[in-house]
Amino acid sequence: MKVNQELCVGCGKCLPFCPQGAIHVENRKAFIDQDACVECGICVRQIECPRKAFYEPPEVNEWPRSVRKVFGDPTEKHQSTGVRGRGTEEVKTNDVTGRVKRGEIGFALEFGRPSIGTKVKEVEVVTIPLVEKGVVLEPCNPLTSLLDETGRVRDDVREEKILSAIVEFAVPFERFEEIAALVYDAAKHCKNTVFSWGLVVRYEEDGTIAAVPVLEKLGIHIPKNAKVNVGLGKPFCNE
Amino acid sequence: MSHSLHRRGTAESLSHDYILLVTAAAGINAAGSKDKLRRVLDVVWEVGPVNTGSNEVGTILSGVSIEEIKAGFTEIPRVRCVFDSADKMREVIRRLLEMDLGISVTVSGPRLEIEKICAEFGIKPHSVNLSLDIWGKKNELPEEEILEFITMCGHGMISRSLVVDCIEKVKAGRLTPEQAAVRMGSPCVCGFYNPTRAIPMLQKYVPAEKH
Repeated sequence: MKVNQELCVGCGKCLPFCPQGAIHVENRKAFIDQDACVECGICVRQIECPRKAFYEPPEVNEWPRSVRKVFGDPTEKHQSTGVRGRGTEEVKTNDVTGRVKRGEIGFALEFGRPSIGTKVKEVEVVTIPLVEKGVVLEPCNPLTSLLDETGRVRDDVREEKILSAIVEFAVPFERFEEIAALVYDAAKHCKNTVFSWGLVVRYEEDGTIAAVPVLEKLGIHIPKNAKVNVGLGKPFCNE
Repeated sequence: MSHSLHRRGTAESLSHDYILLVTAAAGINAAGSKDKLRRVLDVVWEVGPVNTGSNEVGTILSGVSIEEIKAGFTEIPRVRCVFDSADKMREVIRRLLEMDLGISVTVSGPRLEIEKICAEFGIKPHSVNLSLDIWGKKNELPEEEILEFITMCGHGMISRSLVVDCIEKVKAGRLTPEQAAVRMGSPCVCGFYNPTRAIPMLQKYVPAEKH
Protein backbone atom coordinates (compact mmCIF):
# COMPACT_ATOMS: atom_id res chain seq x y z
CA MET A 1 0.00 0.00 0.00
CA LYS A 2 1.04 3.60 -0.35
CA VAL A 3 0.18 7.01 1.04
CA ASN A 4 -0.99 9.86 -1.17
CA GLN A 5 1.41 12.51 0.05
CA GLU A 6 -0.79 15.34 -1.17
CA LEU A 7 -3.65 14.17 1.01
CA CYS A 8 -1.69 13.13 4.11
CA VAL A 9 -1.59 15.70 6.91
CA GLY A 10 0.81 13.69 9.09
CA CYS A 11 -1.63 13.35 11.99
CA GLY A 12 -0.32 9.84 12.83
CA LYS A 13 -3.77 8.39 13.58
CA CYS A 14 -2.93 5.49 11.27
CA LEU A 15 0.21 4.46 13.16
CA PRO A 16 -1.27 2.00 15.68
CA PHE A 17 -3.27 0.07 13.09
CA CYS A 18 -0.53 -1.48 10.92
CA PRO A 19 -0.03 -5.13 12.00
CA GLN A 20 3.60 -4.99 10.87
CA GLY A 21 4.47 -1.52 12.19
CA ALA A 22 5.35 -0.52 8.63
CA ILE A 23 4.01 3.05 8.80
CA HIS A 24 6.06 5.97 10.06
CA VAL A 25 5.64 9.73 10.00
CA GLU A 26 8.45 11.97 8.82
CA ASN A 27 8.26 15.72 8.24
CA ARG A 28 4.50 15.59 8.85
CA LYS A 29 3.90 12.94 6.19
CA ALA A 30 3.15 9.23 6.64
CA PHE A 31 5.22 6.70 4.72
CA ILE A 32 4.99 2.92 4.37
CA ASP A 33 8.12 0.78 4.45
CA GLN A 34 7.55 -1.28 1.32
CA ASP A 35 9.75 -4.14 2.53
CA ALA A 36 7.80 -4.50 5.77
CA CYS A 37 4.31 -4.00 4.26
CA VAL A 38 2.39 -7.27 3.83
CA GLU A 39 -0.43 -5.67 1.77
CA CYS A 40 -3.08 -6.66 4.31
CA GLY A 41 -5.13 -3.57 3.46
CA ILE A 42 -5.87 -2.49 7.03
CA CYS A 43 -4.58 1.03 6.31
CA VAL A 44 -6.99 1.40 3.41
CA ARG A 45 -9.94 -0.06 5.30
CA GLN A 46 -9.24 1.37 8.78
CA ILE A 47 -11.50 4.22 9.60
CA GLU A 48 -9.23 6.69 11.35
CA CYS A 49 -7.46 8.35 8.40
CA PRO A 50 -9.27 11.71 8.19
CA ARG A 51 -8.09 12.25 4.60
CA LYS A 52 -8.43 8.71 3.23
CA ALA A 53 -4.83 9.07 2.08
CA PHE A 54 -3.99 5.37 1.81
CA TYR A 55 -4.41 3.58 -1.49
CA GLU A 56 -3.54 0.37 -3.28
CA PRO A 57 -1.17 0.97 -6.21
CA PRO A 58 -1.41 -1.34 -9.26
CA GLU A 59 1.90 -3.10 -8.48
CA VAL A 60 0.31 -4.73 -5.42
CA ASN A 61 -1.47 -7.07 -7.83
CA GLU A 62 1.60 -7.83 -9.92
CA TRP A 63 3.69 -10.96 -9.41
CA PRO A 64 5.51 -11.59 -7.10
CA ARG A 65 4.27 -8.72 -4.90
CA SER A 66 0.73 -10.09 -5.25
CA VAL A 67 1.76 -13.02 -3.04
CA ARG A 68 1.79 -10.63 -0.08
CA LYS A 69 -1.85 -9.77 -0.57
CA VAL A 70 -2.85 -13.41 -1.00
CA PHE A 71 -1.33 -14.26 2.36
CA GLY A 72 -2.29 -11.06 4.13
CA ASP A 73 -5.62 -9.65 3.08
CA PRO A 74 -8.62 -11.77 4.15
CA THR A 75 -10.86 -9.86 1.75
CA GLU A 76 -8.67 -10.88 -1.20
CA LYS A 77 -9.96 -13.51 -3.62
CA HIS A 78 -6.49 -14.90 -4.37
CA GLN A 79 -6.44 -15.26 -8.13
CA SER A 80 -2.64 -15.26 -8.19
CA THR A 81 -2.36 -18.71 -6.62
CA GLY A 82 -5.65 -20.06 -7.90
CA VAL A 83 -6.69 -21.07 -4.37
CA ARG A 84 -8.91 -19.09 -2.00
CA GLY A 85 -7.71 -18.38 1.55
CA ARG A 86 -4.42 -18.97 3.33
CA GLY A 87 -5.35 -22.63 3.83
CA THR A 88 -8.13 -25.08 3.16
CA GLU A 89 -11.39 -25.55 5.04
CA GLU A 90 -9.50 -28.25 7.04
CA VAL A 91 -11.69 -29.35 9.98
CA LYS A 92 -14.58 -26.99 9.18
CA THR A 93 -16.06 -29.28 6.55
CA ASN A 94 -14.20 -32.48 7.38
CA ASP A 95 -17.46 -34.29 8.17
CA VAL A 96 -18.37 -34.12 4.47
CA THR A 97 -15.01 -33.79 2.68
CA GLY A 98 -13.14 -36.47 4.60
CA ARG A 99 -9.98 -34.44 4.10
CA VAL A 100 -8.52 -36.04 7.25
CA LYS A 101 -9.81 -39.58 7.61
CA ARG A 102 -9.79 -41.97 10.54
CA GLY A 103 -6.29 -43.42 10.79
CA GLU A 104 -4.75 -40.15 9.59
CA ILE A 105 -3.65 -36.97 11.29
CA GLY A 106 -3.57 -33.52 9.73
CA PHE A 107 -0.96 -30.88 10.50
CA ALA A 108 -1.35 -27.11 10.05
CA LEU A 109 1.78 -25.10 10.83
CA GLU A 110 1.00 -21.42 10.38
CA PHE A 111 4.24 -19.48 9.96
CA GLY A 112 4.23 -15.82 10.98
CA ARG A 113 1.23 -16.21 13.28
CA PRO A 114 0.65 -14.56 15.65
CA SER A 115 1.73 -11.01 15.06
CA ILE A 116 5.25 -11.50 13.68
CA GLY A 117 4.80 -12.08 9.94
CA THR A 118 7.37 -13.98 7.90
CA LYS A 119 9.28 -14.13 4.67
CA VAL A 120 7.95 -16.98 2.54
CA LYS A 121 11.33 -18.76 2.63
CA GLU A 122 11.11 -19.35 6.40
CA VAL A 123 8.72 -22.27 5.87
CA GLU A 124 11.63 -24.29 4.47
CA VAL A 125 12.77 -25.22 7.98
CA VAL A 126 9.94 -27.70 7.89
CA THR A 127 8.87 -28.14 4.24
CA ILE A 128 12.26 -29.48 3.06
CA PRO A 129 12.61 -32.11 5.86
CA LEU A 130 8.97 -33.11 5.36
CA VAL A 131 9.41 -33.66 1.63
CA GLU A 132 12.62 -35.60 2.32
CA LYS A 133 10.51 -37.89 4.52
CA GLY A 134 8.06 -38.42 1.68
CA VAL A 135 5.28 -36.28 3.12
CA VAL A 136 2.92 -34.88 0.49
CA LEU A 137 1.89 -31.29 1.19
CA GLU A 138 -1.77 -30.33 0.73
CA PRO A 139 -2.21 -29.44 -2.97
CA CYS A 140 -5.20 -27.17 -2.30
CA ASN A 141 -3.21 -24.97 0.08
CA PRO A 142 -1.88 -21.83 -1.70
CA LEU A 143 1.56 -22.17 -0.11
CA THR A 144 2.16 -25.54 -1.76
CA SER A 145 2.05 -23.94 -5.21
CA LEU A 146 5.02 -21.75 -4.20
CA LEU A 147 7.29 -24.72 -3.47
CA ASP A 148 9.33 -26.91 -5.80
CA GLU A 149 9.42 -30.70 -5.64
CA THR A 150 12.06 -30.61 -2.87
CA GLY A 151 9.99 -28.37 -0.62
CA ARG A 152 12.14 -25.33 -1.38
CA VAL A 153 10.41 -21.98 -1.92
CA ARG A 154 10.62 -20.72 -5.50
CA ASP A 155 13.26 -18.05 -6.15
CA ASP A 156 10.79 -15.43 -7.35
CA VAL A 157 8.78 -15.35 -4.10
CA ARG A 158 11.14 -16.45 -1.32
CA GLU A 159 11.95 -12.92 -0.11
CA GLU A 160 8.34 -11.72 -0.09
CA LYS A 161 7.13 -10.66 3.38
CA ILE A 162 3.72 -12.06 4.26
CA LEU A 163 1.47 -12.03 7.30
CA SER A 164 1.24 -15.82 7.54
CA ALA A 165 1.25 -19.03 5.51
CA ILE A 166 0.15 -22.51 6.50
CA VAL A 167 2.18 -25.66 5.89
CA GLU A 168 -0.63 -28.19 5.65
CA PHE A 169 -0.51 -31.97 5.22
CA ALA A 170 -1.86 -35.25 6.53
CA VAL A 171 0.04 -38.43 7.37
CA PRO A 172 -1.01 -41.92 8.46
CA PHE A 173 -1.50 -41.97 12.22
CA GLU A 174 1.30 -44.51 12.65
CA ARG A 175 3.71 -41.80 11.45
CA PHE A 176 2.37 -39.21 13.89
CA GLU A 177 5.10 -39.54 16.49
CA GLU A 178 7.88 -39.45 13.85
CA ILE A 179 6.48 -36.36 12.10
CA ALA A 180 5.60 -34.57 15.35
CA ALA A 181 9.21 -35.06 16.43
CA LEU A 182 10.36 -33.64 13.08
CA VAL A 183 8.23 -30.52 13.61
CA TYR A 184 9.48 -30.25 17.19
CA ASP A 185 13.04 -30.31 15.87
CA ALA A 186 12.28 -27.86 13.06
CA ALA A 187 11.01 -25.36 15.63
CA LYS A 188 14.53 -25.14 17.04
CA HIS A 189 15.76 -23.99 13.61
CA CYS A 190 12.97 -21.46 13.17
CA LYS A 191 15.13 -18.43 14.02
CA ASN A 192 13.37 -15.59 12.22
CA THR A 193 9.69 -16.06 12.94
CA VAL A 194 7.16 -18.12 14.89
CA PHE A 195 4.54 -20.65 13.90
CA SER A 196 1.25 -21.69 15.46
CA TRP A 197 0.80 -25.45 15.40
CA GLY A 198 -2.57 -27.06 14.82
CA LEU A 199 -3.57 -30.71 14.46
CA VAL A 200 -6.68 -32.15 12.85
CA VAL A 201 -7.79 -35.63 13.85
CA ARG A 202 -10.99 -37.64 13.89
CA TYR A 203 -12.61 -38.59 17.16
CA GLU A 204 -12.46 -42.28 17.93
CA GLU A 205 -15.75 -44.19 18.16
CA ASP A 206 -15.60 -43.93 21.97
CA GLY A 207 -15.17 -40.15 21.82
CA THR A 208 -11.49 -40.10 22.70
CA ILE A 209 -8.72 -38.41 20.71
CA ALA A 210 -5.90 -40.77 19.79
CA ALA A 211 -3.39 -37.95 19.40
CA VAL A 212 -3.61 -36.85 23.03
CA PRO A 213 -1.53 -39.65 24.65
CA VAL A 214 1.11 -39.34 21.92
CA LEU A 215 1.42 -35.60 22.54
CA GLU A 216 1.65 -36.21 26.27
CA LYS A 217 4.42 -38.75 25.66
CA LEU A 218 6.31 -36.18 23.57
CA GLY A 219 5.85 -33.57 26.30
CA ILE A 220 3.85 -31.28 24.00
CA HIS A 221 1.37 -29.11 25.91
CA ILE A 222 -2.24 -29.22 24.68
CA PRO A 223 -4.13 -25.98 25.39
CA LYS A 224 -7.77 -26.30 26.47
CA ASN A 225 -9.18 -24.49 23.44
CA ALA A 226 -9.92 -26.39 20.24
CA LYS A 227 -12.16 -26.36 17.20
CA VAL A 228 -14.68 -29.18 17.11
CA ASN A 229 -16.53 -30.30 13.98
CA VAL A 230 -19.82 -31.30 15.52
CA GLY A 231 -20.66 -33.68 12.69
CA LEU A 232 -23.94 -32.32 11.31
CA GLY A 233 -22.88 -32.12 7.65
CA LYS A 234 -24.41 -34.27 4.91
CA PRO A 235 -23.61 -36.46 3.09
CA PHE A 236 -21.75 -37.58 6.21
CA CYS A 237 -18.24 -38.91 5.61
CA ASN A 238 -17.49 -41.67 8.08
CA GLU A 239 -14.12 -42.61 6.64
CA MET B 1 -7.57 -21.61 7.47
CA SER B 2 -7.81 -21.98 11.22
CA HIS B 3 -8.43 -18.37 12.17
CA SER B 4 -10.67 -19.18 15.14
CA LEU B 5 -8.00 -21.45 16.63
CA HIS B 6 -5.04 -20.50 18.83
CA ARG B 7 -6.93 -18.05 21.06
CA ARG B 8 -5.20 -17.47 24.38
CA GLY B 9 -6.30 -16.44 27.85
CA THR B 10 -7.32 -17.65 31.26
CA ALA B 11 -9.86 -20.44 31.55
CA GLU B 12 -12.35 -17.96 33.01
CA SER B 13 -11.89 -15.52 30.13
CA LEU B 14 -12.08 -18.23 27.46
CA SER B 15 -15.29 -19.53 29.02
CA HIS B 16 -16.91 -16.42 27.50
CA ASP B 17 -15.65 -17.12 24.00
CA TYR B 18 -17.36 -19.58 21.64
CA ILE B 19 -17.21 -19.23 17.88
CA LEU B 20 -19.75 -20.81 15.59
CA LEU B 21 -18.75 -21.67 12.01
CA VAL B 22 -21.40 -22.99 9.66
CA THR B 23 -19.70 -23.81 6.38
CA ALA B 24 -20.95 -25.14 3.08
CA ALA B 25 -18.42 -27.39 1.35
CA ALA B 26 -17.34 -26.52 -2.18
CA GLY B 27 -18.28 -29.22 -4.65
CA ILE B 28 -20.30 -31.17 -2.08
CA ASN B 29 -23.20 -29.26 -0.55
CA ALA B 30 -22.46 -25.60 -1.35
CA ALA B 31 -24.62 -25.43 -4.49
CA GLY B 32 -27.93 -23.83 -3.64
CA SER B 33 -27.05 -23.41 0.03
CA LYS B 34 -27.22 -19.60 0.23
CA ASP B 35 -30.80 -19.56 1.45
CA LYS B 36 -30.04 -22.24 4.04
CA LEU B 37 -27.19 -20.17 5.42
CA ARG B 38 -29.37 -17.05 5.46
CA ARG B 39 -31.91 -18.96 7.56
CA VAL B 40 -29.08 -20.11 9.85
CA LEU B 41 -27.95 -16.53 10.41
CA ASP B 42 -31.51 -15.44 11.17
CA VAL B 43 -31.98 -18.24 13.68
CA VAL B 44 -28.64 -17.88 15.49
CA TRP B 45 -28.95 -14.10 15.52
CA GLU B 46 -31.95 -14.49 17.83
CA VAL B 47 -29.66 -16.20 20.38
CA GLY B 48 -27.53 -13.08 20.67
CA PRO B 49 -24.03 -13.31 19.20
CA VAL B 50 -21.65 -10.57 20.35
CA ASN B 51 -20.12 -10.29 16.90
CA THR B 52 -20.68 -11.60 13.41
CA GLY B 53 -19.52 -10.63 9.96
CA SER B 54 -18.00 -11.75 6.72
CA ASN B 55 -14.85 -11.06 4.76
CA GLU B 56 -17.04 -9.71 1.98
CA VAL B 57 -18.80 -6.89 3.85
CA GLY B 58 -17.36 -6.53 7.37
CA THR B 59 -18.80 -6.92 10.87
CA ILE B 60 -21.68 -5.71 13.00
CA LEU B 61 -19.01 -4.15 15.21
CA SER B 62 -18.09 -1.87 12.32
CA GLY B 63 -21.72 -0.99 11.63
CA VAL B 64 -22.67 -3.59 9.02
CA SER B 65 -26.21 -4.99 9.29
CA ILE B 66 -27.27 -8.63 9.31
CA GLU B 67 -29.13 -7.98 6.06
CA GLU B 68 -25.93 -6.72 4.43
CA ILE B 69 -24.02 -9.79 5.63
CA LYS B 70 -26.70 -12.10 4.21
CA ALA B 71 -26.81 -10.20 0.93
CA GLY B 72 -23.02 -10.56 0.63
CA PHE B 73 -22.94 -14.36 0.83
CA THR B 74 -20.81 -15.89 -1.91
CA GLU B 75 -21.45 -19.14 -3.80
CA ILE B 76 -19.72 -20.92 -0.92
CA PRO B 77 -21.60 -19.26 1.93
CA ARG B 78 -20.47 -19.25 5.54
CA VAL B 79 -21.92 -18.09 8.84
CA ARG B 80 -19.52 -17.01 11.57
CA CYS B 81 -20.73 -15.76 14.97
CA VAL B 82 -19.14 -15.28 18.38
CA PHE B 83 -21.08 -16.03 21.57
CA ASP B 84 -20.12 -15.10 25.10
CA SER B 85 -21.36 -18.18 26.96
CA ALA B 86 -21.63 -21.94 26.74
CA ASP B 87 -25.37 -21.62 27.36
CA LYS B 88 -25.83 -19.55 24.21
CA MET B 89 -23.79 -22.05 22.21
CA ARG B 90 -25.89 -24.87 23.64
CA GLU B 91 -29.03 -23.08 22.42
CA VAL B 92 -27.47 -22.53 19.00
CA ILE B 93 -26.68 -26.24 18.65
CA ARG B 94 -30.21 -27.10 19.72
CA ARG B 95 -31.64 -24.85 17.02
CA LEU B 96 -29.27 -26.11 14.33
CA LEU B 97 -30.16 -29.70 15.16
CA GLU B 98 -33.81 -28.78 14.80
CA MET B 99 -33.15 -27.17 11.40
CA ASP B 100 -31.25 -30.27 10.17
CA LEU B 101 -29.81 -28.52 7.11
CA GLY B 102 -26.91 -30.89 6.49
CA ILE B 103 -24.32 -28.08 6.51
CA SER B 104 -21.11 -28.55 8.51
CA VAL B 105 -21.12 -26.99 11.98
CA THR B 106 -17.89 -26.31 13.85
CA VAL B 107 -17.48 -24.75 17.28
CA SER B 108 -14.28 -23.17 18.57
CA GLY B 109 -13.81 -22.79 22.30
CA PRO B 110 -13.05 -24.79 25.45
CA ARG B 111 -12.95 -28.35 24.07
CA LEU B 112 -14.30 -30.22 27.08
CA GLU B 113 -17.30 -27.92 27.33
CA ILE B 114 -18.06 -28.32 23.61
CA GLU B 115 -17.82 -32.11 23.94
CA LYS B 116 -20.16 -31.91 26.93
CA ILE B 117 -22.72 -29.94 24.90
CA CYS B 118 -22.49 -32.53 22.09
CA ALA B 119 -23.05 -35.35 24.60
CA GLU B 120 -26.11 -33.59 26.02
CA PHE B 121 -27.69 -33.71 22.55
CA GLY B 122 -26.48 -37.22 21.80
CA ILE B 123 -24.09 -35.98 19.11
CA LYS B 124 -20.81 -37.75 18.39
CA PRO B 125 -18.44 -35.02 17.22
CA HIS B 126 -16.65 -35.87 13.97
CA SER B 127 -13.19 -34.33 14.22
CA VAL B 128 -11.18 -31.83 16.18
CA ASN B 129 -8.57 -29.20 15.44
CA LEU B 130 -6.22 -29.02 18.42
CA SER B 131 -4.11 -25.96 19.07
CA LEU B 132 -0.57 -26.85 20.12
CA ASP B 133 0.69 -23.39 21.02
CA ILE B 134 3.35 -21.18 19.44
CA TRP B 135 6.83 -22.33 18.35
CA GLY B 136 10.00 -20.76 16.99
CA LYS B 137 11.32 -17.27 17.77
CA LYS B 138 9.00 -16.66 20.68
CA ASN B 139 11.08 -13.87 22.17
CA GLU B 140 9.73 -11.57 19.44
CA LEU B 141 6.17 -12.09 20.58
CA PRO B 142 4.32 -9.42 22.52
CA GLU B 143 3.56 -9.96 26.19
CA GLU B 144 0.94 -12.58 27.02
CA GLU B 145 -1.65 -9.96 28.02
CA ILE B 146 -1.31 -8.40 24.53
CA LEU B 147 -1.42 -11.80 22.82
CA GLU B 148 -4.73 -12.52 24.53
CA PHE B 149 -6.27 -9.65 22.56
CA ILE B 150 -4.55 -10.09 19.21
CA THR B 151 -5.21 -13.83 18.99
CA MET B 152 -8.92 -13.05 18.88
CA CYS B 153 -8.30 -12.16 15.23
CA GLY B 154 -6.67 -15.19 13.63
CA HIS B 155 -6.23 -13.32 10.37
CA GLY B 156 -3.71 -11.12 12.22
CA MET B 157 -5.56 -7.88 11.54
CA ILE B 158 -5.35 -6.53 15.11
CA SER B 159 -1.89 -5.12 15.66
CA ARG B 160 0.02 -5.19 18.92
CA SER B 161 0.44 -1.41 18.65
CA LEU B 162 -3.32 -0.91 18.44
CA VAL B 163 -3.82 -3.05 21.55
CA VAL B 164 -1.13 -1.08 23.40
CA ASP B 165 -2.64 2.19 22.19
CA CYS B 166 -6.10 1.18 23.42
CA ILE B 167 -4.72 0.09 26.79
CA GLU B 168 -2.85 3.38 27.15
CA LYS B 169 -5.99 5.34 26.34
CA VAL B 170 -7.94 3.38 28.97
CA LYS B 171 -5.19 4.01 31.51
CA ALA B 172 -5.32 7.71 30.70
CA GLY B 173 -9.10 7.79 31.00
CA ARG B 174 -9.46 8.82 27.35
CA LEU B 175 -11.43 5.69 26.44
CA THR B 176 -13.73 3.50 28.50
CA PRO B 177 -13.08 -0.24 28.32
CA GLU B 178 -16.24 -0.52 26.22
CA GLN B 179 -15.02 2.10 23.74
CA ALA B 180 -11.54 0.58 23.62
CA ALA B 181 -12.98 -2.89 23.01
CA VAL B 182 -14.85 -1.64 19.94
CA ARG B 183 -11.92 0.37 18.60
CA MET B 184 -9.53 -2.53 19.00
CA GLY B 185 -11.87 -4.87 17.11
CA SER B 186 -12.51 -2.56 14.17
CA PRO B 187 -9.79 -4.08 11.91
CA CYS B 188 -11.23 -7.61 12.26
CA VAL B 189 -13.22 -8.14 9.06
CA CYS B 190 -14.59 -11.65 9.60
CA GLY B 191 -16.35 -11.08 12.93
CA PHE B 192 -14.38 -13.47 15.14
CA TYR B 193 -13.19 -10.79 17.55
CA ASN B 194 -15.10 -10.92 20.84
CA PRO B 195 -15.71 -7.41 22.25
CA THR B 196 -17.64 -8.70 25.26
CA ARG B 197 -14.65 -10.76 26.34
CA ALA B 198 -12.30 -7.83 25.73
CA ILE B 199 -14.15 -5.46 28.08
CA PRO B 200 -13.21 -7.16 31.39
CA MET B 201 -9.70 -7.70 30.02
CA LEU B 202 -9.48 -3.90 29.65
CA GLN B 203 -11.15 -3.00 32.93
CA LYS B 204 -8.03 -3.71 34.95
CA TYR B 205 -6.37 -0.74 33.24
CA VAL B 206 -9.01 1.77 34.36
CA PRO B 207 -7.36 4.32 36.69
CA ALA B 208 -8.20 3.72 40.35
CA GLU B 209 -10.13 7.00 40.76
CA LYS B 210 -12.57 5.94 37.99
CA HIS B 211 -13.60 2.78 39.77
